[in-house]
Amino acid sequence: MKKIGAWIKEQNGYFLAGLAMAGLVLVLAVLSFFWTPYSTTAMSAAERFQAPSLGHIFGTDNYGRDIFSRVMDGIGETLFVSSLIVLLSAVTGILVGAFTGYFGGILDEIVMRITDAVNGFPSILLALVAISILGSGKQNLILSLGIVFAPSFIRIVRSEFLRLRDADYIVRARLMGVKKLRILFVHILPNIFSTFWVSVTIGFNNAILAESGMSYLGIGIQPPDASLGKMLSDAQGYLGRAPWYALAPGLAIVWIVLGFSLLSEGIRRKGEAA
Amino acid sequence: MIRIENLSVAFDGPEVVKNVSLTIEDAEILGVVGESGSGKSVTALTLMGLAASNARVTTGKIYYDDTLLLEAGKPRDNGLYREFQGDKMSMVFQEPMTSLNPTKKAGTQVEEMLILHAKGMTREERREKVLETFRNVGLQDAERVYGCYPHQLSGGMRQRVMIAMAVILHPGLIVADEPTTALDVSVQNQIMDLLQKINREQKNSLLFITHDLNLARRLCGRIAVMQDGRVVESGPTEEIFENPRQDYTKKLIAAVPKRIGKKKMDQKEGREPEKPPERKKLAEIRDLSVFYRESTGSLFGRSRKKCVVEHADFQIYRGEILGLVGESGCGKTSLSKAILGINRMIEGEVIHYSNAPQMVFQDPYSSLNPVKTVGWLLQEPLRAQGILDPSKEMSPADREAAAYEMLRKVGLEEKYFHRKPSQLSGGQRQRISIGQALITKPGLVIADEPVSALDVTIQAQILELIRSLQAELGTAFLFISHDINVIYQVSDRIMVMRDGKILEIGETEELFRNPKNAYTRELLR
Repeated sequence: MKKIGAWIKEQNGYFLAGLAMAGLVLVLAVLSFFWTPYSTTAMSAAERFQAPSLGHIFGTDNYGRDIFSRVMDGIGETLFVSSLIVLLSAVTGILVGAFTGYFGGILDEIVMRITDAVNGFPSILLALVAISILGSGKQNLILSLGIVFAPSFIRIVRSEFLRLRDADYIVRARLMGVKKLRILFVHILPNIFSTFWVSVTIGFNNAILAESGMSYLGIGIQPPDASLGKMLSDAQGYLGRAPWYALAPGLAIVWIVLGFSLLSEGIRRKGEAA
Repeated sequence: MIRIENLSVAFDGPEVVKNVSLTIEDAEILGVVGESGSGKSVTALTLMGLAASNARVTTGKIYYDDTLLLEAGKPRDNGLYREFQGDKMSMVFQEPMTSLNPTKKAGTQVEEMLILHAKGMTREERREKVLETFRNVGLQDAERVYGCYPHQLSGGMRQRVMIAMAVILHPGLIVADEPTTALDVSVQNQIMDLLQKINREQKNSLLFITHDLNLARRLCGRIAVMQDGRVVESGPTEEIFENPRQDYTKKLIAAVPKRIGKKKMDQKEGREPEKPPERKKLAEIRDLSVFYRESTGSLFGRSRKKCVVEHADFQIYRGEILGLVGESGCGKTSLSKAILGINRMIEGEVIHYSNAPQMVFQDPYSSLNPVKTVGWLLQEPLRAQGILDPSKEMSPADREAAAYEMLRKVGLEEKYFHRKPSQLSGGQRQRISIGQALITKPGLVIADEPVSALDVTIQAQILELIRSLQAELGTAFLFISHDINVIYQVSDRIMVMRDGKILEIGETEELFRNPKNAYTRELLR
């Protein structure tokens, strides 16, 4: 216990608050894959539009389904999809950014102009285009948002590799005869993690918002899977009769994004302090 | 004239200046000497009322003549200080590039002193006064300098502008904080002469802060030696140099590279003075010219080639230390990069008769990968070698043993094996750099200013390490430095370079006893 107390004292407030909020989200998300208080699909005409109570802490929706269970499920779904989006774009970012940043030249120019072009459009719009080409569905949603988010990772990784490729210790590694791939991924890559980790958490937040937005528009996650964005759009029609229906998924999105923002800020500050 | 009594200054943590008492008499030059972190700059800044806002004066008082400038426990009287700053005391900083405003003309910046402190002068009078001061500090082309922005001036000229700014109001005290450290040796000499001349002519006191004992000895009448925030010894300069009382002072004086009398390094004396007549060539540089591409700025303009090293022609022999001395921008780094094969824009030939040469850089903080441990860093050259040439592959246990062995050779204990570079001091890092360069047993190591970022006592240790490793392993070094004294101490042969040309090359003693080139003589002054 003493050790934990001492550890907590060392951390900054952003990190602790972020860790607590994001931790709760993660626990709910993991739990939702195995257990929810009620079935997320069980309808009951008798229990329509019940206000929050001890039995249904977030109330019930227009089909009499438990909103808390559906929010849990939605969080799980959202985190799962967002993680895959970030994974896809971050890996693309590392691979492309490392090579273009380190080697430069004409390939670098071409890739940079492409990322400029991609950055020129709002990301949701681009994702819409990609979805309309690929068709809707969970895999296509991940694929299209992954492609849309990749350029920002490419840029960050590239600029870090560009900065470090002429660092004294990399020049010396070259003189020792270290192979290029090893320089890229063993010598340079670990040095960019603190910067990269911040952009991963920011990207994760953007992915959550984008996924919710797409689902809200009806082209993201499809029923019967629960999704926070889809719940929001469903709740819109009953805003006067059952305000808690919209409030629950809305607050959940705010909670997740705020938690991960605080976490990334905390990590950034820790990196600066070190 | 200035009395500092029992001054202690603390930043948020412990005190960095502890009970410092100094007096500066009228028209005298007092040198404050110490290594980095000894508190000499903090003392000066506190005296000037320029210390950072989180600096707290915990004990002591500062008097200027009979005025109490600062007292512990009372907030700094900024109004009082404003009267004194500039008018009665002024400061010259180390870095002329950052201490002048880059967006204002040099003349305007100096003139501002007059606008603030000498009210009632007309514009023409002010201009005349600035030009006159410029001429006094040796800026012959005063009119041109007046209209120049700092980036259009050389480092030495900028420092002269700074000095002009400091002396234009004839203050009673000038504080110079490492005023020549950022400058080349020959410019350094000129600035030192200038400070001496100003002191003689204007009869103002000078507080000269430096890490360089040689400079302090040349300029100062009295010296105070600082260590860890304390003044450990003070007195007349010659007395301190002749009879240092404190161990630390003795250590400092011993560490200063000297060229008078016998060399103090034992290894050097142990070896026979006459080399065998046929020396084995390790590397041969034949009529080498090095270029770099200068872009013309426009997108489609052809970039021009600019020549930075012209027709270099020399040999490096097995097991020798060849010193390369020259000022910044003379092409010594370009030459070393060409020898290493990093720069390929060359004409002429570089022939190596040994395996790939390695490099030790100047900055110990950027030459080790910060995320790796010392052990990993020392093993990496062996791993790379094994990948390139399977016949040299070593088992992980052998590699680790070799790394421990090298750690011992560079004078570090085993416990450092698992540390990261950030947990080491500058000197320790430089030891690891050297170890990393030597572990694959290269025939040649190029060391580019390996000690110029280090304190003088650490510097002596590293030079000794290089000497002893060279004797033990028989590795040849190309040792690059701007400091002829350092070069003298380690080198068997010396090569003098200026403006891309090799002016002179010869045996160390021979070159020192009768330098053939005028520039070499200037360096040796």
